Amino acid sequence: MEEYDVVVVGAGFGGPVAAKKCAEAGFRTLMLERGERVGQKVISGLTIPFYGFLFGPAFIRDGNPPIERPADGIINYIVKDIEKGDIDIDDTLRVPKPLSPVLAFGYNAYCQPFCEWEADRAVESGVELRTSTVAVDVIKEDGFVKGVVTDDGSRIGAKIVIDAEGCQGILAIKAGVREKYTPDAISLADVYDYEMSKEDVDRIFGSTLRFCWGWDEQRIAPPLGYGNGLMVWPYRESLHFIQDQCLVTDAGRLPSLKDFDEYHRNITGGLDWWQEDIAPRVRLRARVWDAFEIFVGLDERLKAMPNHTDGMILIGDAAGLESTELCDGVPAAWFSAEMAADVAIDALRAGDTSSSFLRRYDELIKAHPIIQWSISRTNRHDLRYAQQTHDEKLLKRYIHDGWGLGGFKHVSTPLIRTILDSIAEEPGILTSWIRMFFRYYNNWHHQRFDGRTEAESEPVARTRGERVFKGITGALDRGLKRFGGPVKTVARFLAPASAAANPVMKVLLPVIEPLYLWLLKVTEAPAGRLSDRLVRFVADAHPSLFERPPTERK
Amino acid sequence: MTWTAEEFPGVEWVEGSGDFIRFDPDRCSACARCVKVCLGDCFEIAEKKARVKSLEKCLECGACWFACTDGAIDFSWPPGGKGYRSLWG
Repeated sequence: MEEYDVVVVGAGFGGPVAAKKCAEAGFRTLMLERGERVGQKVISGLTIPFYGFLFGPAFIRDGNPPIERPADGIINYIVKDIEKGDIDIDDTLRVPKPLSPVLAFGYNAYCQPFCEWEADRAVESGVELRTSTVAVDVIKEDGFVKGVVTDDGSRIGAKIVIDAEGCQGILAIKAGVREKYTPDAISLADVYDYEMSKEDVDRIFGSTLRFCWGWDEQRIAPPLGYGNGLMVWPYRESLHFIQDQCLVTDAGRLPSLKDFDEYHRNITGGLDWWQEDIAPRVRLRARVWDAFEIFVGLDERLKAMPNHTDGMILIGDAAGLESTELCDGVPAAWFSAEMAADVAIDALRAGDTSSSFLRRYDELIKAHPIIQWSISRTNRHDLRYAQQTHDEKLLKRYIHDGWGLGGFKHVSTPLIRTILDSIAEEPGILTSWIRMFFRYYNNWHHQRFDGRTEAESEPVARTRGERVFKGITGALDRGLKRFGGPVKTVARFLAPASAAANPVMKVLLPVIEPLYLWLLKVTEAPAGRLSDRLVRFVADAHPSLFERPPTERK
Repeated sequence: MTWTAEEFPGVEWVEGSGDFIRFDPDRCSACARCVKVCLGDCFEIAEKKARVKSLEKCLECGACWFACTDGAIDFSWPPGGKGYRSLWG
């Protein structure tokens, strides 16, 4: 029997992160992928929120992963009567110019190239990748997971198994860690991918997502069971279009998912902007779907299921960490993968991979501010309530709170807490964050996505703008190095105060918001010009300028 | 051998996936939940039981398995490298 220290099951978003970390710690690590190629079995593209990149794995933050387009805002269309064209708009959630689109609130990506890029980095770090291989069962001895059995009958021994299989979680069920999810915890995402020229996407969408919301009886969006939505993601040369439907409706019945076709026809056929601007310029090139465990975090019983057993840890969707807030599980997959790897490494070093040692992983998951916020948000549940009561005011409020500026009433505490925790751990991360936004935009502009993770020499500064950027980030690097101790102390001191951020925003936001939106409006023209200049600067700059200089590397 | 389906562009299926979704007719109550939730049109009701019609357009989402509260469906993965592959996922 082959023997490894760590076997990671699944090379999606989380698997390669955990595998890479274990291999870098010196452990013999094998990663199994059931597709012939990494990412072939991951289908739904998406916006990965900025906090995944900022607080997630360093090799992604400091690297050059393949992104399709920065996302700098959302336009919510609240469709009151599609036939009469009676539509309200909430476009309050946007990164203000001149910061956008260089600073983005997320990055749109296709899963396949992104996961493959991650897996390539893991392999470079010494992970052995075996594709076309399914882990069909675990090897158990005296109740202790000791490895996996693959579809060709091979038995592969492991001191610890990290399960990154995805939301179906068949291996975790076989290992006796978790139960099959109930249908009301599952949503089905139906995806349409339309080819469109980059010039058209740039002109019509820019970097702004468009979400459409409507009443059930209009049959323009699936009656989710909890919410209602159709979402359009602009990619580099395509539009990614998603509608999703919970497997159980309000009345406890199962909906016919075959109605997806009708909803799609009705919404695209009924929207003037789609018919006039988009329909003549697109070609459907993919239609796919997948299930995801979006409502696990709202079900206390499912949420309480363990994420570990003797010799095994679950991460990402396999651990039920899909976000109800954003229909997105990537940041939680990254965060949990890193925590799982940390715990696995400690366990291997201690020679104890028992459940009593691995329990600390579950404690870390429960204590993670962003994971807990993202899996526990009730905004979709609230939207469903607004839908049932047909209360337009409520519907608009919940859309504003979920996908508008109102979100700051609930996201401020977890975000501020995580920012402060990150700075307390490593103050130098501040400049990594700044460089990341600039580098990602530069990469996107030039379509330069590769394995480079570090500059080979000091950053090149050729123009005045580049010298200013280098000067500012260099000074920050030096300052944070010199005053790292006090910065850490201040961040640690302030961290508990972040608990007050949500309540404060609840009071302040209604006052600040109109002023803020007014300010954006009156400064629109000069801010737009500055944004154009910033874009030109970033696009023209030498890429090494946005990489971490060798002198600052850990 | 691989094949495609006109209504689902951007997907290829690779031959050799086998019977990775199985029914236990004794447990099936013919509620047709599996039929309703399957976009790939893989199931049908015949003789008061559900059964797999064809897995040719299955995207391995597991919706049928999640939806089945009778415990009549056994869902596993096709062998490595078989089944669907998404070209724009």
